[in-house]
Amino acid sequence: MSEEDWLRQDRLPHIFCAGCGNGTVINCTLSAVEQMGWKRQETVFVSGIGCSSRAPGYISTDSLHTTHGRALAFATGIKLANPQLNIVVFTGDGDLAAIGGNHFIHACRRNIDLTVVCLNNMIYGMTGGQGSPTTPMGGLSTTTPYGSGEPAFDLCGLATAAGANYVARWTSYHVRELTRAILTGLENPGFSFVESLVQCPTNYGRRNRFKQVADQIEYFKSHTILVEKAARMREKGEMIPPDMILAGEFVRRNRPALGVRP
Amino acid sequence: MRLQIDERRCKGCNLCTLVCPYRIFKPGKRANRRGIVVPELDRPERCANCRLRHLYGRTLCGTCQMICPDQAISWKEDEDPVPKKVAIEY
Repeated sequence: MSEEDWLRQDRLPHIFCAGCGNGTVINCTLSAVEQMGWKRQETVFVSGIGCSSRAPGYISTDSLHTTHGRALAFATGIKLANPQLNIVVFTGDGDLAAIGGNHFIHACRRNIDLTVVCLNNMIYGMTGGQGSPTTPMGGLSTTTPYGSGEPAFDLCGLATAAGANYVARWTSYHVRELTRAILTGLENPGFSFVESLVQCPTNYGRRNRFKQVADQIEYFKSHTILVEKAARMREKGEMIPPDMILAGEFVRRNRPALGVRP
Repeated sequence: MRLQIDERRCKGCNLCTLVCPYRIFKPGKRANRRGIVVPELDRPERCANCRLRHLYGRTLCGTCQMICPDQAISWKEDEDPVPKKVAIEY
């Protein structure tokens, strides 16, 4: 089997815009699932509503396309009803942080054995580019035409504080690292949260000085800093530039988990 | 092994031109029947995965395939592989 066998060939090409990072994250997730050696009958992909949540529709396993923000609630139900299943949740930033925020923190608290891949494109892409809770300070969108005046949500910090077992953040440029992080998340018992920043050329990039798809990828490349390096810089008393994105593994621990196979 | 781009899936975002360490992918010049400018391959036999996959028994590099959002890049097995001298410039 290869990653190609996990895709529904008859549904491709998918509906994502040219250059959308969601397809990259699907590749990375399927590669990690493939390396885990899971069977198709025992794997379930769950998603909510949004651009990112179209992803399970292109994967040839059982999948659940649920109501807005409730992907984690449905996934909890599946896991508790049948702990034999391996569950991966695809979710967007609007889905997870805005409408499903409460489900998110309680899933972290219960530490259910799920892997959540959050495709954070920093905007509500599907509905026309409204500002989301993760739109960075000063980011332009249709509802923040003079630049977002609110600080953005740090989803990894939220998951760490709420008690997730594994938390990591990468971007769609770091494909190898992202695959490895998702693989670690799948192996780890308990709630694993992998946030991936993805480019949205149609609704975010074009309003925020990223005229080409490659511009935003170059931005991810030049504006990420490893968590370990940031910690070293803080020790030395150096300033970390405020627009830097922290990337890497935030936490890996062994809190008691719910729904783990006996 | 031979590198190939599936023209039915490619949407012409040119992300592959950004990541290839050998710069095998070049931005295309002509639009195809669907109006999409598919990248062109410049001496694809230089690709590390094409040359060394059978030697190592695993996928080498493969970044273009991973980053392609449209799952359009893949490798095909040659029917009758002809040994060829490949010049690699760094």
